[in-house]
Amino acid sequence: MKKIITLLCIFCSVFFLCPVNVQAAESTQAAAVPVWLCIPFAGLLLCIALMPLVKGEWWEAHQPHVVILWVLAMAIPFAIVYGVGEMAETVLECTVNDYVTFIILLFGLFCVSGNITMEGDFAGSPRVNVGLLALGTFLASCIGTTGASMLMVRPVLKMNSWRKRKAHIMVFFIFMVSNMGGILTPIGDPPLLMGFMRGVPFFWSLHLFPVLLFNMIVLLFVFYHVDRRMYRRDIAEGRKPDISKPGTQFRIDGLHNLIFLVMIVVAVILSGVLPGLKIFQDSAGNVLGIPVFRDVRLSIPSVIEIVIILAAAGLSFKTTPKEIRTRNHFTWGAIKEVAVLFIGIFITMQPALMLLRQVGPNLGLDQPYQLFWATGALSSFLDNTPTYLVFLTTAGTIGFTSGISTSLGTVPVHLLSAISCGAVFMGANTYIGNAPNFMVKSISDENGVSMPSFFGYMLWSLAFLIPLFLLDTLIFFL
Amino acid sequence: MQENQKKCLELANRIYDLDAKVYECVGSSLGRTFTGNRENTVQNLCMLMLAKPNGHLLRSELALIGNMARTIQDKEARGQMLTEYDSILKEIEQLPDSFGKVDIVDLSRARLNPTAGKLSEKDHLVICISRTQGSAGNDIGFELADELHINYYDVEIFNQVLNRLEAEKGSVNDAEAEHFADFDKYRKRSFRLKTWLREFNRYHGLPRQDAVFFNMSDLICNLARTEDCVIMGRCADAILANNHIPHISLFISAPFSLRIQRTMASKNMELRQASRFLKQMDRQHKKYYDFYTGSRWGRPESYDLCINSANYGIRETIDLIERMIDQKRK
Repeated sequence: MKKIITLLCIFCSVFFLCPVNVQAAESTQAAAVPVWLCIPFAGLLLCIALMPLVKGEWWEAHQPHVVILWVLAMAIPFAIVYGVGEMAETVLECTVNDYVTFIILLFGLFCVSGNITMEGDFAGSPRVNVGLLALGTFLASCIGTTGASMLMVRPVLKMNSWRKRKAHIMVFFIFMVSNMGGILTPIGDPPLLMGFMRGVPFFWSLHLFPVLLFNMIVLLFVFYHVDRRMYRRDIAEGRKPDISKPGTQFRIDGLHNLIFLVMIVVAVILSGVLPGLKIFQDSAGNVLGIPVFRDVRLSIPSVIEIVIILAAAGLSFKTTPKEIRTRNHFTWGAIKEVAVLFIGIFITMQPALMLLRQVGPNLGLDQPYQLFWATGALSSFLDNTPTYLVFLTTAGTIGFTSGISTSLGTVPVHLLSAISCGAVFMGANTYIGNAPNFMVKSISDENGVSMPSFFGYMLWSLAFLIPLFLLDTLIFFL
Repeated sequence: MQENQKKCLELANRIYDLDAKVYECVGSSLGRTFTGNRENTVQNLCMLMLAKPNGHLLRSELALIGNMARTIQDKEARGQMLTEYDSILKEIEQLPDSFGKVDIVDLSRARLNPTAGKLSEKDHLVICISRTQGSAGNDIGFELADELHINYYDVEIFNQVLNRLEAEKGSVNDAEAEHFADFDKYRKRSFRLKTWLREFNRYHGLPRQDAVFFNMSDLICNLARTEDCVIMGRCADAILANNHIPHISLFISAPFSLRIQRTMASKNMELRQASRFLKQMDRQHKKYYDFYTGSRWGRPESYDLCINSANYGIRETIDLIERMIDQKRK
C-alpha cells in the first residue's frame, strides 16, 4: 500500500513538473540550456523525498555525500557544455549571493529564537492552536516567515506535547506561519523584498490583506475541524494535559532576545534598501561589492546584513544562559540538515533557473490566473525569489501603461498581486518550497512529532492547499 | 503465550525507561515521546507488540525516541542510548507473530474484566453503568450497590465532589458547577469577554467542558483504585479502560414506549413532553459519550454486557448482574 502511495506521489510530481519540462524543451534551441542539466536537481529532490523512507539511517549519515554527488553531477556536465569558468561563476554566484545570505539569515533567526523559551502550562487544544496559528501568521509579516516560524515552533510544540496526534498542527503551521503570513510586507518573504528593491512601494503588499484574510479564514476553519477530530481521538485514548494547578502559569525566558530579533529584521530591511542608495553604487550604478571571481561579488549591503545578523546571533548566545537552550532542546541538527540540503538545492537548481529566465518571458503569460499558477507551481520546487523576479520581469515587459511603476516596467496591480501570491503562498506546497518549511519539519522531528514524509506532506498540500488556491483563482485572479 | 507476554512487558518497560533517559539526557522541556504515566504507556506498548510485533505504529513510536536520542550532545550517553535503542529494535523484530489468530479476545480489554477472575487482590470491584433515561438504570445501579455493600456514584455526587475539589483550589465557587443535565457541547452561550478570559486562564486554555471532564477522569480513576463502587455514566467505562483499571461495563436500556410510560409516571409528564424529554436526553448522552470516548454510545461493542431491563424488571436485572459477578468470583 505504502509503495502504491509512493508511486502515486511520484506520478503526481512528474505530472506537475511535466509542463515545465515540455515548455522548456520546446524553447531549448532558443534558450540553449539543455533540459537534461536539470536532472541532478530532480535527482536531489527525489533523494530528499525517498531516501528517508527507503534507507532512513543511511540517509541521515550520508546526506553531505549525496549532496556532493548531485552537485558534481550538475557541475561536471555544466563545465563540459559551458566551460569550467562559466561553471565556477554560476556556482559561486548562487553560493555567494544567494546561499550565504539565505543560510546566515536562517542561522541568525534559529540561534536567536532558540534562546527564547516559554514556560507555562497552557494546554494545546483546537482553539488555542487556532489562536497560535493566527498570531503566527500575522507575526510573519512583521518579522518574516522564517523569524515567526522559529519563534513560534517551540511554544506550539510544547503546548501540544501532551497530545499524540500533532503532525497536522505542524503541517498547518508550515502552511500559514512559514508561508502565507509573509504576504503583507516586504519583510515577510524574500520575493516581496526583491519587489520592493525593484520599486514596488513598501506598503503596497497590504493590498493583499483580503486574500490573506480569506485564506486564513478557510484554512483556520478547516484546521479547527481537523484538529478537533484529532483532539477527540487523543482524549478518547485517555490522553490528558496536566491541569492540576488551579490557574495558568505563563512566563517567557530570554525575552531580551527580541532586541536581537529586531536587529535581524533591520538587517533584512537594510539589505533591500541599501543597494538603492548612491553611496553603495559605483559610477555605472552597479552595487559595490567584494570581488570573488569574474563578475561574482559579494555586495557591501550583503556584507552589512551578514555582519549584523552574526552579531545578533553572537550577542544572543553571549547574553542568554545555556540552560534556556537546553530547555528548548536546542541542537544544531535542524540547521545543519537545512544547510547541507539547501547548498545542494541552490547549486543544482541553477540550470532550471537559467531555463526559466530564458523561457519565462516567452511563455505568453499575461493573465493573473496564469501568472498565479505559473509562479506558484515553480515556487513550490524552485527558489521563490528568482521565480518571482522572472515573472515580474515578464509582466513588466508586456508594455502596460497603468499600474505599479517598477524598475522592470509598469506592472498592473492584478498581475503583481497574482505573482506575489503565487510566489509566497505556493512555497507551502512542498518541504523545499520555502526555507522555514524544512526547519520546522526538522525541529518537529527532533521533538517527538512524526512528521509526514516529503510526499506525505505533498498529499496534505494537495488536499488542503490546491483547492484553496483554486478558490483564490476564482475569487481574486480571474 | 505467557512467556511472550512477559517478554513484551519487559520490552515495553525498557522502551519507557529509554524514552525517559533520552529525555533526561537531552534536558528539553518541550515534551518527551511518551507523556502518559508508566503503567498506561507500558500497557499500551505491550498491546501494540502483542497485536502486531512488526507493526508500523510501534516502529514509528520508537523512531521518535531514536530521533531525539541522536540529538544528545554527550557522545558517550548518545552511544549508550542508541545501543539500547538498537537492541530493543532487534528484540522486537524477533517476537513471534502468533496472537489473536483464532480467538476473538481483545487482550487489552479482557485483562480488565473482573469476571474473568484474573485480578490481583489489590483490584477493586468497579461496575460502570451506562443507561438510557427511563430504563430504571439508576434504580438498578443504586440497589445493586446497596446489595453488594459498595459505594454508589452518580452525576450529582460527582458534581458535588468536583465542586468541592475546585473550591479547595480556591478557583471556583459552587454556583459555577457544570451540571450534566445542562451539558451540551454544542450549546450556544452568551459570550462575555471577562468570563471567557477567566475561564481561559482557569482551565489552561481548554474549553470548560473538557477541563471538567479531565478533572472528573482523575476523580473516577482515584475512586476505582481505592474502593469497590458502582459508577453511573460519565464515560467511566472508557476512562477506566484507558487507564487499565479493571471494571465491568454495563449498558441498560428498554423499549422506548416503556421508557415513556415510566417517565410519565415518575416525573408526572404528558406523553409528548416525556417523549421529547427522552429523545433530548438520549441525544445529550450520545453526544457526550461519543465526543469523549470515540466509541458509540449504546452500541453493544462498547460494553461488556447490554441488558434490556424491561425483559427482566428491576429486581431480576439486579439478580442477573449479581449472579454474573458471584459465579465468576467463586
